[in-house]
Amino acid sequence: MLFGRNKLSRRAVLRGAMLGGATVALPLPRLGAMLNGNGTAYADGAALPVRFGWWFFGNGIIPERWVPPRTGVGGNWALSEQLAPLENVKPWVQVISGTAIKVPDSAPHSSFTAAALSGSNSSEKTTLLPTIEQVIGKMINGGTTFPTGLHIGIGNSGGGTQIGDTHSFSGVGMPNPAEFDPSKMFSKLVPFASSASGKPATPDTELLRRQMVLDAVNNQANTLRKRLGMDDQQRLDRHLQGVHELQTQIMRAQGPKVSGKLTDPAMAHPNGGAPGSLSRVRCQAFNDLLVFALSTDLTRIFSYTFTPAASFQVYSDCGLPGGYHSTYGHRGSPMGAAFGTAGMNTGVRYAIGNLGDLLTRMKETPDGAGNLLDNSCVYTTSCTSESQTHSPLDFPIVVTGKAGGKLKGDQHIRLIDDNTSKVLYTLYGAYGGTAPTFGKDEGQVSSGIPEMLA
Amino acid sequence: MSIKRLLIESLTVALGAALVVGCSGQIGSANGGPGGVTGGGPPNGGPPSGGGGGGATSGAGLLDLPSSPLPTNGLHKLTAWEFANSLQDLLGGSGVPLSPVEVDTLIGGFATVGGSTVAISPAGVGQYETVLGVATTFAFGDATRAKAVLPCVPQSAADAACLTSALNTFGRRAFRRPLSADETTAFVTLATTVGSQAGSNVLSGIQHAVWAMLQSPDFLYRVELGTPSAADGGRLKYTSFEIASRLAAVIWGSVPDDPLLDAAAGNALATSDGIRTQVQRMVADPRAHRALAAFSDQLFDAFALGQADKDPTLFPAYTATLRAAMLKEIELRVDDMTFTQKGDFLSLFEGTTTFVNKELAAFYGVPFTATDGDFHRVDLGGGSPRVGLLGAAGILAGHAHSELTSPTARGKFVDTMLLCRTVPEPPPGVPPLPSHAPPGSTVRQIMEAHRSQPQCAGCHALMDPIGFAMENFDASGQYRTSDNGQPIDASGELDGVAFNSLAGLGSALRKNAATGPCLVSKVYESALGRLPIAVDAAALDQLITKFNGSGHHIDQLLVDLSGSDGFRFISPK
Repeated sequence: MLFGRNKLSRRAVLRGAMLGGATVALPLPRLGAMLNGNGTAYADGAALPVRFGWWFFGNGIIPERWVPPRTGVGGNWALSEQLAPLENVKPWVQVISGTAIKVPDSAPHSSFTAAALSGSNSSEKTTLLPTIEQVIGKMINGGTTFPTGLHIGIGNSGGGTQIGDTHSFSGVGMPNPAEFDPSKMFSKLVPFASSASGKPATPDTELLRRQMVLDAVNNQANTLRKRLGMDDQQRLDRHLQGVHELQTQIMRAQGPKVSGKLTDPAMAHPNGGAPGSLSRVRCQAFNDLLVFALSTDLTRIFSYTFTPAASFQVYSDCGLPGGYHSTYGHRGSPMGAAFGTAGMNTGVRYAIGNLGDLLTRMKETPDGAGNLLDNSCVYTTSCTSESQTHSPLDFPIVVTGKAGGKLKGDQHIRLIDDNTSKVLYTLYGAYGGTAPTFGKDEGQVSSGIPEMLA
Repeated sequence: MSIKRLLIESLTVALGAALVVGCSGQIGSANGGPGGVTGGGPPNGGPPSGGGGGGATSGAGLLDLPSSPLPTNGLHKLTAWEFANSLQDLLGGSGVPLSPVEVDTLIGGFATVGGSTVAISPAGVGQYETVLGVATTFAFGDATRAKAVLPCVPQSAADAACLTSALNTFGRRAFRRPLSADETTAFVTLATTVGSQAGSNVLSGIQHAVWAMLQSPDFLYRVELGTPSAADGGRLKYTSFEIASRLAAVIWGSVPDDPLLDAAAGNALATSDGIRTQVQRMVADPRAHRALAAFSDQLFDAFALGQADKDPTLFPAYTATLRAAMLKEIELRVDDMTFTQKGDFLSLFEGTTTFVNKELAAFYGVPFTATDGDFHRVDLGGGSPRVGLLGAAGILAGHAHSELTSPTARGKFVDTMLLCRTVPEPPPGVPPLPSHAPPGSTVRQIMEAHRSQPQCAGCHALMDPIGFAMENFDASGQYRTSDNGQPIDASGELDGVAFNSLAGLGSALRKNAATGPCLVSKVYESALGRLPIAVDAAALDQLITKFNGSGHHIDQLLVDLSGSDGFRFISPK
């Protein structure tokens, strides 16, 4: 068994006849109708699902404009200039300021990205530990339709960093590349939606044939696996995990549909621009798809790369000419440093505005007795703090959502020079993790931040 | 090659003392590298005669070969272009509908190296299923198309003989080896089952069987594990079919054809001579052009160009189509030198013959009368400042900021990809940039101000003096005579050889003792799908000697490389 199954997949089974007389078990997704009377749990007593994802933007911040001026809770603190776009969801927001990346900056933008997302340093095109959503996914996402999660990318102009432009890793050398085209993600989700517009459903006979094809692929792979050394076996297992996930998706596509509303991005957001460019409209298209997948329990984890580490993206969507990294991040604008600083501020606010769109969308999506943000956590970070200096200090960390009641909201905690990995460890623990430490080498910690927990 | 990091470096200033030591300007064995070279020469001051340095000063000792353990990976994920080429070759040519699959992982600039370390991600598996479903549905959509792909087209699912023959023949190419009896049975059974269903037919059955084959790791990864060879001291030697797999990937970027597989079946690829016979045939095949273009794209950093957005207000001519033309130009120059001129590859750094379409011709300011929309050969002329391959706009634009040039980025590209030097990462704790240089400063003046700080000088001295020679070309690759209102100063130096123009840099690069060995090393790296290490020194030495001695011919290098122990054995010694 390459990935675990949760209670649902063991319990809820649809039996269907395969061609050739085989019988398969079709795990069902959780449906709204399965909730108890007050929407706080499933009728069988199982807890509502909790979700986790990270939202990443490249090139860091201006700390004095990012860090809220006061610490505290509720009305005692206010969002900063660069975090102001989160006003709609402030009751769910925790700003953790003052922490520092302790992992050495052996590869600028890359080391800190890896540290902020995994608690480890980077190596060539990888982190040295799985990223946090994959760690948490092992605990909460095994039985869903997309066990490795959904991985969204908006801007694809990278920074040529050691880690590369993909920032989600299931393990060393196991990248999870992002999808940049909402129409392709829509196609992945359509088979599970009851209200999807667009393409007609694939005939069931073809789904069954696809299963036969993948069975043959599995047999081939299992035969090959016996001939391989350990490293290659691990790589093949990674591939086979994908085959199993695909098989699960095909099985579930033949079962009951989920009840959420899936929006065709081509219809709802037709002016999203070319995949890979920055576009608030395309972000909103992805937000629709992500919220659908999370709220219907097709997956419980995600990564969302607004721009990759050290991105040289042109932020034309918010009126900034020139490559962002050099022109604004490093204040290299021919118009002068002040112009560069102003552009940097505009860019950060634009990024956080897009994050705010997603979080607001989640807040507005009912989930159980509350909303999706109540039962989720979105961890937001970047590849550096102060962009000019590649500073590890006062690292940008925002945690939004209550994670099913495990996390607080509406507070600003300032922890001067504490290890940023403590935030990751806290989140890991909030989702049920029990390991005594989190992270690797200088990124390793053995305690969290109790103030974050409800 | 990491252009964006270069840009960081061009704007960051402080390099710690330790890194100053690391940026001493030495390369390879000059730093005590384990090259094991026969007379490894000095890192600078290459032979003055153009084209063809002597082996005594240009061996593997000029390369930085780490003493890393030998990778043992036997699975090599197809790169995106290998996947696309393979599908075209297997399924009926360029008409096969294809859409993008998961992006390649570049390691050391090479997707082939990344392909030896990663697997297709779970989400990627679904992408491949979709793409292959569309492609196979097209290929087996009617009997005419199927006939172009298969040796016979069964009339019904009951035609077991033809069905078996068809799938065995197809499978041998897709898997780069004959199918086992169990595999044949499985795929024939799948085809028969689907083909016999109500509403289906035998072509649909074949389509599903082929769909399964092409989703199998036996196709999506080259499986090259080797077997112990008693005649070679028990070393793991690639089988003839594995050699066929490697040859097809390196020389065609695709799957083997039947003659190559027939040679493997006769064990003709067990010897260097047998391999060379096939390679000479393969190099002359049109499919070799695709693989060379892919190598060119990696060596000259097409990835950087692909990400090199420019400020549209400053560079309105820098369109998406122009950028594509820039890339094509580089590919055509490399292809022309290799296959048409059959000339000295290193002469590309000095030549003024290139290929342009209408848009690129206008950008370069050269007359262009053709109306066919294609690329045509032009000679920019002896007086042109755009001399050599480093004058290709794609290289210049790919290694520059969105608004400003970056001598550091351009210099580092030359250092790392063309001279095989290691330039360290910027150090931790980079302090803030100083305020801008006085208004009206040129990029050169800004960078020279940076380099005047001792902690910056070490690494930037490796890169900037090379990049300064390209300052006559702006961030989009357009020729210019001034920067910020001041005349361009394009003087620079490479390993003690001074120059004051791009032409001078090209000449110095061509004559540098490390240029030829580095190119051999890059071809070796790309072909083997791994970074060269100390154990490769002897094999590289032999190849470098031949390469230098034969006038730097890439096609001959491929022949020699394919017959080398580095290619035939998992461990080259």
